[in-house]
Amino acid sequence: MHEFALFLGCIAPNRYPGCEAAAIKTSEKLGIKLLPLKGASCCPAPGAFGSIDLKVWYAMAARNLCLAEEMGKDIALVCNGCYKSIFEVNHILKHDEKLRNGVNEVLKEIDMEYKGSIDVFHLAELLYDERFCGVRKIRDSVTTPLKGAKIACHYGCHLTKPAKERVFKSKELLNTECPTWFEELVEATGATAVEYRNKMQCCGAGGGVRGYDIVHALDITNEKLINITEVEADAITEVCPFCQLQFDRGQIEIEEKFGDRYGIPVLHYCELLGLAQGMSPQDLALDLHAIDCTPFLEKVL
Amino acid sequence: MAAKSYDNPELDQKLKDTYYRLGDSNPEFSKNILETSRTLANMCYQCGTCTGSCPSAPRSSYRIRKFMRRNVFGLEDEALTDPDLWLCTTCYSCSDRCPRDIAPTDVIMAMRNMAFKRDIIPKNFLMTVKLIYDSGHGVPNNDANRDARARLGLDRDPPTTHTYTEYMQGIRKIIDSCDLKANADRILGE
Repeated sequence: MHEFALFLGCIAPNRYPGCEAAAIKTSEKLGIKLLPLKGASCCPAPGAFGSIDLKVWYAMAARNLCLAEEMGKDIALVCNGCYKSIFEVNHILKHDEKLRNGVNEVLKEIDMEYKGSIDVFHLAELLYDERFCGVRKIRDSVTTPLKGAKIACHYGCHLTKPAKERVFKSKELLNTECPTWFEELVEATGATAVEYRNKMQCCGAGGGVRGYDIVHALDITNEKLINITEVEADAITEVCPFCQLQFDRGQIEIEEKFGDRYGIPVLHYCELLGLAQGMSPQDLALDLHAIDCTPFLEKVL
Repeated sequence: MAAKSYDNPELDQKLKDTYYRLGDSNPEFSKNILETSRTLANMCYQCGTCTGSCPSAPRSSYRIRKFMRRNVFGLEDEALTDPDLWLCTTCYSCSDRCPRDIAPTDVIMAMRNMAFKRDIIPKNFLMTVKLIYDSGHGVPNNDANRDARARLGLDRDPPTTHTYTEYMQGIRKIIDSCDLKANADRILGE
């Protein structure tokens, strides 16, 4: 069993708890044990917080890293936004002594020290990587294949972009123009992954834009939804609860503001995998989703 | 779709002025950007791959290439007072594709940091600081979600600062180390 400290972030535990429950349960069946990272905070949000003061952003992210260092465990997380903060700050501080010393001066005030002794992984990365899990192992864990469902993959931005600042063992993840590793993960659940126009486009929510100018953010989301509808996808899957929020609640907001109605359920990959491993919609709190998942569930279960 | 207007004649007039005057230029600005962004922003040769990759560009007047040019010219006021500065979703597509290996997104982040130092900052960014200062979370838990967590067999609050509130003191100290909360309160109060 591989053990990791699970960095939860905000939106998974506080808006889509099914995502947290599914991450823990599905991983355990695949030989990955996710342990609580006690006292962790917001990563903090790379766009909304980093835009104000990057130095404080480094220090806040470093505090979260210190908690895992004290546990002696590498971090696994389920959100692209968190990945940007936690992975990138870890990576930068490991290699930049001046910044590291600056951060440690702040952390000294609260009796902590960043050492650079752990690594940070996105759970999707661990699931795809054969050293930890791999696609075949996922396929073998499926008890309820999601046959007949057409799923559109939304990769999100901060997991893989910019590739020149990433260090994945699986080289497939360094392809940011037309990757297919996420589709492979989806097809392992028995579902059919569908390609659509401009699939690597952003959901529109990041950088504080959702809060600053929601119509602008939703217009970007709407473009993606148009492209996803074009290929008649039954659901969208992603590996970022903030993208999930933007696509899920965003569809309600898009209907209010633009009058366009889509009704496409949005599931985190962990939730999708949970269904395929036999978890019930109740186990995943799918009722908390803004878009009704029932038609999709009737099709696959 | 037409480019968005801010209904601000003064701003429109300012943006219409495309002349470069030496007096408008602050070389310190470019140096600060270089240090904060940690990317060689001065290497930009204005090819426009960034704007061509930008999801915000087709639906607004935001042009990342323009901000890159403002950096090279040291046009601090023009960069920091343009409301378009806040339309970058930080998707990093431009940074991923830049043929000069620059990260234009990080230039935007550095400019936003400098704008904040001059009290130029949209409210929602400050609200995030306040929420994190209060609870450790930018998106805190609520009662409906606590009930849902309990139904799932999870603790009503996650094992974060929500449960281990003793960590909040340290978080507040980090945020206070740069007077972030005090400045946020002051700007929001004005």
